[in-house]
Amino acid sequence: MSANLKTDDFGKRLKTMLKVDFRRMFTMPTVWIMLGISLALPILILVMTSFVGGMSAVDPQTGLETEMESFTNVWQAIGSAGGSAMSMDLTGMCNINLLYFLVAIFVCLFVGEDFRSGYVKNLFTVRAKKLDYVLSKTVVLFAASVGMFVLYFVGAMIGGGIAGLSFDLAEVGASAGSIVLCMVSKVFFALVFVSIALTLSTVGKQTLWLSILGSLAAGMLLFTMIPMMTPLNAGAFHVILCVVGGPLFAAGLGAVSTVILSKTNLI
Amino acid sequence: MNAIEIRNLTKAFGDKLAVNGLTMSVPEGAIYGFIGENGSGKSTTEKCICGLIQPSSGEIKLWGKDYRDQGARAQIGVLIEAPGCFPNYSVWNNMKLQAANLGIKNEDEEIRRVLHLVRMDGAASNKFKNCSLGMKQRIGIAFALLGNPKLLVLDEPINGLDADGMRIMREILLDLSHRGTSVLISSHILGELEKIATHYGIIRGGKMLREMTASELNANCPTYVALKTNETERARDILQQAYGRAEIDEQTGEVRVYGAYAEDVAKYLFGNFGIAVSEIRTAKISLEEYYVGLMQEGRR
Repeated sequence: MSANLKTDDFGKRLKTMLKVDFRRMFTMPTVWIMLGISLALPILILVMTSFVGGMSAVDPQTGLETEMESFTNVWQAIGSAGGSAMSMDLTGMCNINLLYFLVAIFVCLFVGEDFRSGYVKNLFTVRAKKLDYVLSKTVVLFAASVGMFVLYFVGAMIGGGIAGLSFDLAEVGASAGSIVLCMVSKVFFALVFVSIALTLSTVGKQTLWLSILGSLAAGMLLFTMIPMMTPLNAGAFHVILCVVGGPLFAAGLGAVSTVILSKTNLI
Repeated sequence: MNAIEIRNLTKAFGDKLAVNGLTMSVPEGAIYGFIGENGSGKSTTEKCICGLIQPSSGEIKLWGKDYRDQGARAQIGVLIEAPGCFPNYSVWNNMKLQAANLGIKNEDEEIRRVLHLVRMDGAASNKFKNCSLGMKQRIGIAFALLGNPKLLVLDEPINGLDADGMRIMREILLDLSHRGTSVLISSHILGELEKIATHYGIIRGGKMLREMTASELNANCPTYVALKTNETERARDILQQAYGRAEIDEQTGEVRVYGAYAEDVAKYLFGNFGIAVSEIRTAKISLEEYYVGLMQEGRR
């Protein structure tokens, strides 16, 4: 008896791979933990900083008095207007941009578990095309990061409400439209972090700590750029930059990941 | 056509050659017992066949096509080392993932079928990490059987199985082989392998030492008469002269005579030399003995 060697087309292969990855993601506790953190983080940051905001502390040795910073406007939790590099204050560092690190960690955990559990043996024995894997992972993890950004946004609104912060858009130099564009830019910029962490995970494979550390280090290099690419007063330029640049960057690194998976030992 | 055809396969890890110019072929429908010492290159070869590690050089063909061909690879069921399951997922969820990966239409029905085959129906809801070693091994076999693959690559599948598990495994593989499925199975439990294998490949130091069919092995494993007596060495010398080949088994202390009948040997020793035989039996060289002999020969 000769084996019937029929080959599925690319569309069918990708469809089954996406089904596997979405099913896997939603049966994994980590995704719910990450989504929970995304919702809770802005609430905690906004509420807790509102307690200490305006208070001053005196250095007993120098006698120098410093006033504690805090958020005054809820939109500061989403970003800053102006398009300059990141400001090194509380509002510049503790905002939605922190999520990029969470996204990178999640990507490493998700991909790393495939290798650590030995699941790749089942997967890659029957799937010769590594591109399917990379493409599917990018789509699924991008979808997860969209969820995380949306939940952070919701959390920021709740936190701002609880902390009694101002919701005035003009105060931060933004408008309702620019906030939407800002969020779209941020979400698509996440593709850059997803693809970097995915590539580093294909390099690290079972060595999860290496993938995570590498992704965080790469994230640190990009972190200061994020406010320039995705300001609160974002316009068409920023959106096009991120909506086109993000997928292009992901495609480039995706090709690198595919080559790495094809040319290296998987277990 | 051969299900697997390997020509001059080499795999190096740094300076170390794990597989060194290996050539072998697994005919369609064969149960191919892949035998070798630890570190001889069996698992590395199997991983190369499954595309999990990249060969340094050489050629691997599956049903005449390159091993990287998607259509060919989709026909393989695999159990290499441990089953690749997520420890915190239930057995059922793990199998659902693999069923989706294989694009199986009636997933639930197929999963129930393979779990029933390995008598693991009751374990579906267990978390994989809570399963015993034997259960995990059976689940791994169920994984490999999902979707009725045309080729099974099994690395030490009998390890950790109890007697019942081994019997079930044997029945499954024989049944699959009768239906045309090819099986490449490596194991150190040679007694079990001998009951099912139709072909053998013995590997040493990454090279194929001997490749043969079960009937060729049979021809290489002669029957002998084993006897016990108080005058072991004298009996050995006498039988050596009379029958051409006689030796003392160091482990049992028995004298082995090849190409003789038990009754004749006993009569000959007692009638002509007064040597009394306390125990006598006819036996056959087992695969294990043949393999050990071959390895010792190789070392010399």
